[in-house]
Amino acid sequence: MNFTAEAIKTKKKKTAKLVGIDVYIITEEGIPQFKEFGPFKCEFISNRGTKVWPGYVSPDLLMVNWYRCRFMATKDIQDADVTTFLEQFGQKWWWSAVQKLWTYDGEAGYSKAY
Amino acid sequence: MAQHTVTMIPGEGTGPEICEAVRMVIDASGVDIRWEYEEIGLDCLDQHGTLLPDKTIQSIAKNKVALKGPTTTPVGTGHKSANVTLRKVFDLYANVRPAKLIPVVKRPWDHIDILNFRENTEDSYAAIEHMVSDEVAQCLKVITWPGSYRIADFAFQWAQTHGRKKVYCVHKANIMKMTDGLFMDAFKEAAKKYPDIETGDVIVDNCCMQLVRNPAQFDCLVLPNLYGDIITDLCAGLVGGLGFAPGANVGDNCAIFEAVHGSAPKYAGLKKVNPSAVLISGIMMLRWLKEEQAANLIEKSMFAVLDEKKHVTYDVGGTAKTDEYAQAIVDKMGVMAGK
Repeated sequence: MNFTAEAIKTKKKKTAKLVGIDVYIITEEGIPQFKEFGPFKCEFISNRGTKVWPGYVSPDLLMVNWYRCRFMATKDIQDADVTTFLEQFGQKWWWSAVQKLWTYDGEAGYSKAY
Repeated sequence: MAQHTVTMIPGEGTGPEICEAVRMVIDASGVDIRWEYEEIGLDCLDQHGTLLPDKTIQSIAKNKVALKGPTTTPVGTGHKSANVTLRKVFDLYANVRPAKLIPVVKRPWDHIDILNFRENTEDSYAAIEHMVSDEVAQCLKVITWPGSYRIADFAFQWAQTHGRKKVYCVHKANIMKMTDGLFMDAFKEAAKKYPDIETGDVIVDNCCMQLVRNPAQFDCLVLPNLYGDIITDLCAGLVGGLGFAPGANVGDNCAIFEAVHGSAPKYAGLKKVNPSAVLISGIMMLRWLKEEQAANLIEKSMFAVLDEKKHVTYDVGGTAKTDEYAQAIVDKMGVMAGK
């Protein structure tokens, strides 16, 4: 039996919809603050997986210079909107990586921060 | 005698009946504790829209110490873990998990006394997961230098204070050279401050094999979050299972003591389960509060009750209810204290 071929047969295609981006930035200036960027609005910022904006932040919390910033779309967006966002965003912030956020058949394909 | 205020979080399922039994024992030890009861978990999500209400956060932030019963976390889907949320909010980076043989529990070894120090806030538990295509899931393993250094430093200092001789780093740096390599490098850097303590490292798979063949060789282990989660339960199995496995989640200014077992909802209200894990966590809490005399009295009395086997719970061969076992410990404390 070819288990690889059997496994490939079980794949279920889903409809993906772009709904936002996680942008990872490096900064020594503490928790960043953002304005809205076109169709993107910041939903939360996390550091080492812990949400540091909005909401309570322990004064003892260890933070490093690497933040995950989640920007959700406020309207339907395309890949070109991400490119435009990064051009504007990169003028002020030093980003290390970007992950597009999709829903798959309407279900979120991304985790929330603690 | 000092008075302490402790946040009590009974938790879910069997948590409330366990915590009542534990409170009865601790109160009978003579220690002066004012308990502040607070909620956490699924009921809070239904009632307040959050797993961890602000009132609970404020109580812990004020008191700096809490004793917590078990909570329920669904597998695969659903709400996030209330336990992990607490650790994240208060940056309780050190999960201290002793594994020590106690009476009554059958085991093939004569000696096990292992102290596990699990990094509690990073690694694959950073909650950064994405479906990067409709057939590929990805989880970021986040290891940082300061996060790794402080758990190693914490472990070495704990070991030094408690007269331990060896501290070993557990890793998989032969494969994950960046992440586990950074964890091990930070461990080695911290070790330089403690020249009198023997240090070394062991690859996690070999560590598992060594633990089941010859656990007595280990003293203190420092582990990243995921390996720590697994190996601490392995160690619990070596000394009698999760019913006797205590835990402490410690940060620089706050500590939460809790059993590591689940909430066993199918037994809720039956007063059937063994409260020892929460009780031993309470004993750890008393030592944290420098109430050594009360801690020793409870510990000796609990061991004596277990050794007599007359009033023990079903999991260790008895028929006693949760509160009957706790009452037997209280009675034994009275005898031992000469009351």
